Amino acid sequence: MNDIKLGQYVHGYSLIHLLDPRTKIICCTFIVISILSNHNFWYLLAYLGLILAAIKYSGIPYKSIWRSMRGIRYLLLITFLFQAVLTPGEGLIQLGALSVTREGLSIGLINLLRLVILFLGSILLLMTTTPMKLSAGLEYLLLPLNKIKIPVQHFTTIISISFRFIPTLVEESIIIKDAQRSRGASFDSPKIFSNIKSYLAILIPLLASSMLRAEELAEAMDSRCYGGNPNQYRMQSLKYRRVDIYLIIFMTMVLFMGLFLG
Amino acid sequence: MSGRAENMIQLIDVSKEYKMADSCRVALQHINLTISEGEYIGILGLNQSGKSTLARLLNGLLKPTTGQVLINGMATDSPQEIRQIRQLLGMVFQNPDNQLICPVVEEEIAFGPENLGLPPEEVNKRVDWALELVGMQEMRYHAPHLLSGGQKQKVALASVLAMQPRYLVLDEPTSMLDPLSRREILEHLCRINQENHITIILISHHPEDLLDAKRLILLHEGSIYMQGTPKEVFKDMEKLKAIGLKRPGLYQLIQQVEEEGYRIDDNIKTIPQLVEMICRI
Repeated sequence: MNDIKLGQYVHGYSLIHLLDPRTKIICCTFIVISILSNHNFWYLLAYLGLILAAIKYSGIPYKSIWRSMRGIRYLLLITFLFQAVLTPGEGLIQLGALSVTREGLSIGLINLLRLVILFLGSILLLMTTTPMKLSAGLEYLLLPLNKIKIPVQHFTTIISISFRFIPTLVEESIIIKDAQRSRGASFDSPKIFSNIKSYLAILIPLLASSMLRAEELAEAMDSRCYGGNPNQYRMQSLKYRRVDIYLIIFMTMVLFMGLFLG
Repeated sequence: MSGRAENMIQLIDVSKEYKMADSCRVALQHINLTISEGEYIGILGLNQSGKSTLARLLNGLLKPTTGQVLINGMATDSPQEIRQIRQLLGMVFQNPDNQLICPVVEEEIAFGPENLGLPPEEVNKRVDWALELVGMQEMRYHAPHLLSGGQKQKVALASVLAMQPRYLVLDEPTSMLDPLSRREILEHLCRINQENHITIILISHHPEDLLDAKRLILLHEGSIYMQGTPKEVFKDMEKLKAIGLKRPGLYQLIQQVEEEGYRIDDNIKTIPQLVEMICRI
């Protein structure tokens, strides 16, 4: 339970850690826009290099990133294969009725790169920003939505509570699973339906206990005067420094480069 | 009623009923109680004795069906004053997992002061202070789910203390902890009571937890059954037996020694202390 999970915050003091969360969120948005609007292979490759450099700089070991990459390897593989096979064009290799095309390979490669960059970018954001800072940054950036009566603070409170409770729920589901198993339930039956059934037996107690948890949590929040007002303290801890501004200028330039090179 | 009574909690003829589908369950009936600032109160009761209801009445999570709960003269059923009441009277709950709200310890402790709208420097100061008070400074940046039960409960304690309450209500805070952390929490409570002069109202079904209390209130079926110093309450074997409570071994020993004609000090709280005292006799 204690090893690093996908995208969980890793404490550190690198430049990337110390960046303002707003900067990081804005940069990630820029990454998404420029990646999705551009399909120049070399541009994407350069982008990948940029993100790898940022990861290196953040002090997060490549090993843990690599391990989390393995979680999406099938997604990557399938994306690549489908693109390679299903794109019409100049055939290279014939596989029965399907043919791998040159165009397919290049589009597949580009989409692969895009996915990897998106994944690495968001994982870097998550691993170098505490959930609270992240929600403070989101709250600040979304605050204008308050004007059209969208309760942004409630959303960010919900986000931070889910960050808090995901590990607790995982732990609890393991306990329930063990309890079921100790009474003879099997979770790796070859029959899909009996498998689904036994997982249902985990889900229902988990849901019931979550309801109870929610009630107690609400009481605890109430008794500490939670009022859903904007979280001034958290947001005031956000401070733009010179690096943040440089980085945003730099990323804007990269974004425009992407838009025009496209 | 006399005017606003500052510096005390008053329960005036408080009853609480829960409405069920077709019946009505009485949780508390006709409770009259005054708690002054600086006291250390223990509330003892078995399941269904109404002790958790009492705790929730004190900071306005529940409203009394009849009667009035006054905290420093403010009634808990007035919506304007509820915020101030909750600032004055902090609550620690039983389950350490379900009362920690934030994903990082430091921010958990800042949660209360933040809601009070304090400036960030003040919040920071309070976080430092509260962490030091419970000896958790090195856990500042940890995630609550990686802490042990005792540590979680200490964080919960710190996060209430950061609001600088005058009264602290603890609803079975030790019932999910191992004996060592239980002892530790109780020691912290004693210190907070003596050094920071915060009123402690400790609720438990475990008589051993409440030995430090200056006044012990025994709840049974929604009413106050007995009241007095722990020594007085635990002396009355028959009355305790009648509601199925055992008295702590310490008081059993004390009574046996006293029956032999020796006088035991009222502030003996542990067996080693008793042994030492007997040796001096």
